Amino acid sequence: MSLLRRIPLPILLLSPTLIFLTLFFVIPLVQVSGLAFQSPDSVFTLSNFDRMVSDIYFDGALRNTIILLILIIPVQLVLAFAAALIVNQRRRGSTFFLYIYAIPLGISDLAAGLIWLSIFTERGYLNSILHNLGILERPLIFLSSMTPKWMVAAIVLTEVWRATPLVMVILLSGLQMIAKDYTEAAETFGCTWWQKVRYVILPLLKPSIQSALIMRTMLAFQMFGPILVLAGRQLPVFASESYYWYTTVRNPRVAAAYALMLMALSVVATFLYLLLLRTKDEQVGVM
Amino acid sequence: MLRKASSLFLLVLLAVSLAASAFAQEITFSSTQFVPIEEQEFARNHILAPFTAETGITVHLICEDDGPFFDRLIAEARAGRAVSDVFGTLHGNVPILVAEGVAADLGDITSIPGRTYISEFVNLGKMEGKQVYVPWMQATYVMMANKKALDYLPEGADLNALTYDELLEWARILQEETGGPKLGLPAGPSGLFGRMLHGYLYPSFTGYQVQAFNTPEAVEMWEYLKELNRFVHPSSGIWAAMSDPLLFEEVWLAWDHTARLTAAVRENPDKFIAFPAPAGPKGRAFITVLTGIGITQGSQNFDAAMELIKYITSPDVQVQVLEGTGFFPTTLEAVDHIPEGPEKILASAVSRQADSPDGIVSLLPVGLGGRTGEFVPLYLDTYQAIVVMNRPIQETLDAQWALLQDLFESMGAEYPNP
Repeated sequence: MSLLRRIPLPILLLSPTLIFLTLFFVIPLVQVSGLAFQSPDSVFTLSNFDRMVSDIYFDGALRNTIILLILIIPVQLVLAFAAALIVNQRRRGSTFFLYIYAIPLGISDLAAGLIWLSIFTERGYLNSILHNLGILERPLIFLSSMTPKWMVAAIVLTEVWRATPLVMVILLSGLQMIAKDYTEAAETFGCTWWQKVRYVILPLLKPSIQSALIMRTMLAFQMFGPILVLAGRQLPVFASESYYWYTTVRNPRVAAAYALMLMALSVVATFLYLLLLRTKDEQVGVM
Repeated sequence: MLRKASSLFLLVLLAVSLAASAFAQEITFSSTQFVPIEEQEFARNHILAPFTAETGITVHLICEDDGPFFDRLIAEARAGRAVSDVFGTLHGNVPILVAEGVAADLGDITSIPGRTYISEFVNLGKMEGKQVYVPWMQATYVMMANKKALDYLPEGADLNALTYDELLEWARILQEETGGPKLGLPAGPSGLFGRMLHGYLYPSFTGYQVQAFNTPEAVEMWEYLKELNRFVHPSSGIWAAMSDPLLFEEVWLAWDHTARLTAAVRENPDKFIAFPAPAGPKGRAFITVLTGIGITQGSQNFDAAMELIKYITSPDVQVQVLEGTGFFPTTLEAVDHIPEGPEKILASAVSRQADSPDGIVSLLPVGLGGRTGEFVPLYLDTYQAIVVMNRPIQETLDAQWALLQDLFESMGAEYPNP
């Protein structure tokens, strides 16, 4: 007890997090770097990165990883913001809406992929419905390398459906922290609803938007289940290539190189968000 | 008094539980086979339960994909604590286990009474001077068609002696007459299309699986594949097994592993017909896939594990396994006992394929050790580059050949037959 007392309180409070991060993040990170930068006989090498970059799937994986991000994140942000605004009105039934909206949060990404696969396959629900309505004569094949746009659309839809609630929950908690005084003051000055959202709520919500964006972007980089189910290797991304090199090719070194690429992308994205969405001092501690 | 009674009671309890554990032996069986849930259920209820009833040995079956299977067995071997007693996996996977010291020597298996293992398979199971597995099950890849497709068979083509040119013509006629592509290939991430490239097409067109990788004959083969691809169902890229697309009539014509076609014939035996893979200029190449079952080095239950192996490879159980999973027996005694039914449809295609006069048997490569997994992706990547991305054939082949050569040379492995 006396020993514990001598440690400053902040460090004591931080220590569980620090221990956790060291065990499950820092140490694996060092190990992964070791794998990626070493040959099997433990000599420093860049050959694993060479192998990765010269692989025929690399260019596609880089492109797809970024395209999916650019398509998914803005859509999710807008939808989540709209939903958070609705729930925050606290009208009758808004709690019910919140629960319904949050259901996909409880579903694993692989299961979400399977649900949408049953919709989009050649004999899936979408084709059946369109066929029964007489819109289609024969089923369309959505998920094939000949229709990459449909494949991307299916993945974006799955991911938006699955992960928007996460963004919404973060934004909602941010909205609830904004003191009523601000919006009431805006109303007193005759602001329209749109002006209120644009000039009062959005700026005050910036810290929440920032953390939601950082979290969502990192998770989107790691997105994997839906892609594997809906597109297989026809739409490679960094995360699925890393998995493929580890499990199928059984080359953990190239897999580690892909994992480091993912981390580098995540770090760059986080840095950009911190820079672009910098929060001014007066916006912190709004209560 | 009370104290005495209770300690006596505890003593009795201890004795009973000790005795029980001595009789009820438990072993753990790790397998990369029987991964699909229906096959697991079959293995538990129809193979392992009767075994437990007969011998009193309880078996914990763990079925998993290659990745976790290797990770666990290798970790157990390195830690010196074999939790798994029995392993069952593809012949091509065993060298990785042997290299990591996972597999124990089983001794002379030809003297086990009541069955004669096919001798070629027994020899394949000898590595580093040890008998590391018992031949367990075998399988191959054949073609299967919806009987409706037979109406469109090109004139003069014999289903049991089809050529790759006739297959192309058939696929073209089907697409033009029915309005959509009707040929399917299992080219999804868990599909086995890579096996068709190295074990069927390459030897049929060039005479070799590896050596003739970038020869003019190989270029001709890739030109053929680009042509064929025009009639291949575009969803092929997500399919792992062809039984569902055949059942749903998304395709009428498919190539796949026998075990991945079984569900179709079983569901609807009258609708489908199985037949040998086509032949190319050099002959009718096909793969024989062998799975082996062995015991881990350091297993505490060697005798019980051996009991399981003997039971699971006995002729009656092998015929049962064929009915349950579509894998064919590895003993001479069992081959003669396959009854009429859906299995017979596949079994007859398998035996016709094996007996074809222009047949070439392709074996999976051995000796690639820890880099075995890199072999098939080299062929699949070549397909992706040439057929899907439309890259120049000769250049792509030269670049991939360099990687392929490096793989075999750096591991000191010999090229597989042929």
